[in-house]
Amino acid sequence: MKKRLIPLILSILILLALPSCSTGGGITLKLMGKKSDLEKNYMKKIFDLYEESTGNRLEIISVDDQDYENEALKRFENGTAPDIFLHFHNADLNLYDVEGDFRYLNDESWVSDLSEGALSYCTDKDGNLLGLPFWESSVSGCYYNKTLLDSLGLKPASTQAEFDMLCQALVETGVAPICWPADGCSWMAQFGLDPIFADDPVMLEKINSGEIGYSDIPQVRDMTVWLSEAAEKGWFGDDYLSTGWDGISPTLSSGSAAMTFIWDTWFYTDFKDGGKYSIDDFALMPIFMNTAPNGTYEGGNLNMMMVNKNGDKVEAALEFLEFCATPENYNAAFEGISTVSCFKGQTTNIQSKMVTDAEQSIKENERVSTAASRIMGYNAEDMMTALNRMFRNKITVDECIAEMDSSRVEEIARGY
Amino acid sequence: MKTKLKKILPPLLLVFIVSAAAVIIGTQYFRFISEKIYEDSTDHLQEIYGQVNRSFGAFIERNWGFLDSCGSYIEAVDGDTDKVGRFIGEKQDFWKFSSFYFLSEDKTAADVNGNIYNVTADGYWDELLSGEDIMVGYTLGSGTEVTAFGSPCAPGKFGDFDYLAIAVSYTNADLAASLNVDAFSGKAKCFVIDEDGSVLLSTQTGGNVFGNYLTYLSAASDLEKSELEAIGEDLRNGRSGLKNLKIGDVKHCILYQPIGYLNYTLLSVVPESAINAGFLSVQQITAGVLGMIFLLISAAIIVLILFSIRKAFHKNRTELQYRELMFDVLSNNVDDIFIMIDSERFNVDYVSPNIERLLGIPASEARENIRVMEKCTVNLDVVIPAEDLKAIPLNGSRFWEYEYMHQSTGERRWYRLSMYRMNLQGTEKFIAVLSDRTRDQQMNQKLQEALNAARSANEAKSNFLSNMSHDIRTPMNAIVGFSVLLEKDADKPEKVREYVKKISASSQHLLSLINDVLDMSKIESGKTSLNVDRFSLPELLDELGIIILPQAKAKSQDFRIHVQGAPPELLLGDKLRLNQILLNLLSNAIKYTPDNGRILFTVSELESPAPQYSKLRFTVADNGIGMSPEFLDHIFAPFSREINSVTNKIQGTGLGMAITKNLVDLMGGIITVESEEGKGSTFTVELSFALPEQEQGEQWYRQRVRKLLVADDDEEVCLGIKELLEEAGVEVSHATDGKTAVDLAVKAHDSGSSFDIILLDWRMPGQDGVETAKQIREKTGKDVPILVLTSYDWTDIEEEAREAGINAFMPKPFFASTFWQTVKPLFISPAPAIIPAKEPEKNVMSGMLFLVAEDNDLNAEILTEMLGIEGAKCELAANGLEALEMFKNSLPGHYDMILMDVQMPVMNGYEATKAIRACGHPSAKTIPIAAMTANTFAEDVRNALDAGMDGHLAKPIDMNAVREFVGKMVSERRK
Repeated sequence: MKKRLIPLILSILILLALPSCSTGGGITLKLMGKKSDLEKNYMKKIFDLYEESTGNRLEIISVDDQDYENEALKRFENGTAPDIFLHFHNADLNLYDVEGDFRYLNDESWVSDLSEGALSYCTDKDGNLLGLPFWESSVSGCYYNKTLLDSLGLKPASTQAEFDMLCQALVETGVAPICWPADGCSWMAQFGLDPIFADDPVMLEKINSGEIGYSDIPQVRDMTVWLSEAAEKGWFGDDYLSTGWDGISPTLSSGSAAMTFIWDTWFYTDFKDGGKYSIDDFALMPIFMNTAPNGTYEGGNLNMMMVNKNGDKVEAALEFLEFCATPENYNAAFEGISTVSCFKGQTTNIQSKMVTDAEQSIKENERVSTAASRIMGYNAEDMMTALNRMFRNKITVDECIAEMDSSRVEEIARGY
Repeated sequence: MKTKLKKILPPLLLVFIVSAAAVIIGTQYFRFISEKIYEDSTDHLQEIYGQVNRSFGAFIERNWGFLDSCGSYIEAVDGDTDKVGRFIGEKQDFWKFSSFYFLSEDKTAADVNGNIYNVTADGYWDELLSGEDIMVGYTLGSGTEVTAFGSPCAPGKFGDFDYLAIAVSYTNADLAASLNVDAFSGKAKCFVIDEDGSVLLSTQTGGNVFGNYLTYLSAASDLEKSELEAIGEDLRNGRSGLKNLKIGDVKHCILYQPIGYLNYTLLSVVPESAINAGFLSVQQITAGVLGMIFLLISAAIIVLILFSIRKAFHKNRTELQYRELMFDVLSNNVDDIFIMIDSERFNVDYVSPNIERLLGIPASEARENIRVMEKCTVNLDVVIPAEDLKAIPLNGSRFWEYEYMHQSTGERRWYRLSMYRMNLQGTEKFIAVLSDRTRDQQMNQKLQEALNAARSANEAKSNFLSNMSHDIRTPMNAIVGFSVLLEKDADKPEKVREYVKKISASSQHLLSLINDVLDMSKIESGKTSLNVDRFSLPELLDELGIIILPQAKAKSQDFRIHVQGAPPELLLGDKLRLNQILLNLLSNAIKYTPDNGRILFTVSELESPAPQYSKLRFTVADNGIGMSPEFLDHIFAPFSREINSVTNKIQGTGLGMAITKNLVDLMGGIITVESEEGKGSTFTVELSFALPEQEQGEQWYRQRVRKLLVADDDEEVCLGIKELLEEAGVEVSHATDGKTAVDLAVKAHDSGSSFDIILLDWRMPGQDGVETAKQIREKTGKDVPILVLTSYDWTDIEEEAREAGINAFMPKPFFASTFWQTVKPLFISPAPAIIPAKEPEKNVMSGMLFLVAEDNDLNAEILTEMLGIEGAKCELAANGLEALEMFKNSLPGHYDMILMDVQMPVMNGYEATKAIRACGHPSAKTIPIAAMTANTFAEDVRNALDAGMDGHLAKPIDMNAVREFVGKMVSERRK
């Protein structure tokens, strides 16, 4: 009886093992990413293109956004990590053993094709390239209604002083200078903090090591004071505390406000024509929040394809990255996508005129997204909460800074 | 209120008028100054910017001139690059331009370093080529705004670059620095604009955001379109202008002046506040000064008003303080407490400070919580409910009376609480006044007590009259009844004697009743006084024994007198009253102790509070019928008699114990009684007596008694005697029976040291004193005096004792003084062998003639008869004067004695006696006079003696007393 059973069991095991092998004799790579990220068209296109071109197969591990970090950390801990791992270069990446888990990519052939901003974004403080940026990108800056300014006899600002003059001149004409959607839109503060920490990596290290806090950094106070005074002078308009995400478009299109701090792709995804002004009336100038004399732009946050250095298919994974970084492949994938170019050879994407017109200024003043992605414990919502309490005159400037600091420390304590 | 308004109104009007005048003058002044200063300021503005404009125009002209000279120099050196480079460098240091350019026909420019630039200024280029000097603004790729001045020159070559014009450029920031005006605190903006308003040059620090200022003004200012067009027209025609406008919410002034090149205009924008800064400063100072003046005047007026109000207030406050002070003083000095209470919350607004004095509650404590007063109330149910207070109508009042206890002293006092509800300036208050009503209460209480006493007295009087009626009528009934029978049976001697005896007994009882009533009346009216004199305690006890012993003997009672310790024998006190007290107690004991009962009378000395006093305790204890506890409660009340089958048979007035108690009180002593029905009673009287100074008499006879034998079956008596005599140095031997006494006497006799005195108790068991004496005489002879101690009447055994060889009797209890008095005669003369035989008694009154002064014929007749019975005669006088006359007219020795009634017409007994003593009759000083009166009190006796009488005989006349007095007088006369 036993002798008859053994061949039967072996047969069953062989049959079960068959689906996991390449049907065409290719390699199957495990790629793990957030569900929402993997649903992007350009991602699906590149995966299909890869499988069609190489005969290899991608086993896509799609994880709900909210469970992503826990699931990934569990896999890296128990040895079931994917070959290719998608992650933004943000503070959450500190939860992983970056050096121990991922392959540095400095020596890959495609590195030279990366745009300056993309390369900077994907490189750590020691100069190690952590992943291939394969993502739609944008430029965050101060998008202003050029037509409106012209009609008021005003010009865009090129310095913080001019920006303040412009705001005051706009107020005098009855136009709100800045659309500041304080109700639920939390990204603005990071634009002011970027120059502080991007320009001074030592300060970034100090704040992440707990050596200093926001209250120890004069520029943070400069920014907070400027915001407080701007609000008092009416530079954010009258209803900014109740203006949220949905209020930005009507405010700008109606000409109620002349400027806002946002990214270019927003105009293609969320700006709605129908008001007095259309997308063509807008132009780009640097963001001024009293932390950079000549203003700043924030580069896009990019999803990186990272290679599990401890996987058994490292080379195949590197080959996958190389496939993605090939101009014909990434141009095929990003064809018709509105994005700032991450690759120098990127030609099929749509780049906004606003960004193109400000190319020289962007080149001079763009900074990698630093505050939101590099400051440990940074939480945009907490920042917004503290600032809004200050705008409502419930706390002082210093108390606002202290609240921002304490919420950051609490976030760190929670593991972020 | 109206008066206050009248006082305040004038100063208020004055302040108003001054204020209005100040405002009007100030406004007019400010308007004038404002216009004047604004005029001056705008003139100043135009002047400043005229200078700036001229300066800028000159700067342009200088630049073109400079370019002309440069062109000439370059031409002269033939385009030598080194020389041209050095020249340009030197000039740049002076002129501060940023770049120098050579301009070619093909719209390119070259700098001194050979860098070539494309030029885009098409319009200006044509002008330049046509030989015009130009000024043009442009923006570098870096965003820097620049203004260039160009001038055509002779065509030449700089290096390989062919040029036909040259130019210098300045950054707008540098140019702006030269246009900037500091006159308006840096708040002024200055622009160079073209004819359509485009900004070519701005003086703003930090940059420029204005593209077209006219466009900006159209959006940001309050200028009308027509006004803006007019300004544009001025610009195009090279006209100057000044305009006031509002940018945003801020007033500004714009001034535009052509600079003389093309239609370029210098536009100055200055906030009015900056222009008027000087005015504002003046305005502020002026306003400050005016304000100060106004304030000073107002302050002065206000001070005056305040001073006036304060004066009035001070006056009111002083008055209030005076009132408060007076009220405090008043309330401190009256026994009324004032409290003001809020009617809603019952908070205390005021408490007069005397609350602490009157109730022992600190005012602060009461002010904090009025309920603290509740603890002062003697009865807890006096707390007034809040509802009761609230029920008091407005302007109404309610009253309560409570007894409060002082918290410190515990003193209780009655207060009348008057609660008034009043409205004080819109607030309802309770005003409580606590008035001390203790005196009223006490008076009421006294009145009540007096009323009760009066009722009680009235009742007592009724009872007394009832009792008296009964008690007087009872013996009177006997007297009257037996008198009738006496008349009827006058011929029957036996009946007569019997009736007379009964009439006499009833009379005696009636007399004692009257005496007691009078005594009682006298004591209660406080008229009784003590007749203090030296008296002998042994004598007193002896007399008591003489009186009581027969009574006790009659009832076969065992009556004994015990003297414990050694009380002093001589005392100062009212012997008569003490005798009365003790007789009362002893008589009662005899009366209420059945036959064969036992009565013990004990005298003992207590510890005295002072050495010159002796405190004695007299105890009368019997085993009689006793008294009920109820009766004991009022035993000392008048007419109190225990009512039972025994007492009903015993005669008594019911006044004895009341008199006794009052006498004891009068003598400062106490009387107590313990009694139990069927077992007997014990009365104890404690009295203090002063001690007289000791007399130092002859003591020689005491030397004769050195050794003494005493025999008594009561060994305590032996030991008492031993103690007393051993103090006098007498050696005392004792025996408790006769036989032993005989043995001791014989033994002493045989040993040659016989006793000096032998004392024998009469009644000893076995062998009595008489028998013992007989045996001692038989065995030892007649030398040793033998005395017999007895508390009994020894009359019956006198004969037998004489025969037995007894020398004398001594009364019990033993007193040393009595002993020595008894012993003394035994040693004066050869000792009488035995007691001398008793001489038959002789009536001392027999044969005497009395002068009797008596106004009452009946009494006079009775006395005449009674004296006749005694064998004496009398002569009667109807009053004192008649008695005096009769005495004066009598021969010496005619009258043996005078009996003088006291209350008589014409002359009373006292006056008559005094007159007799003073009349000079040979017998006036010596004739015995006795008062004969119904006034029987001590002071009556004393008054009689004081009047010169020798004695006092109470009516009704007791012939025994008369006999005793006469005997005493005769005896003294013999002495």
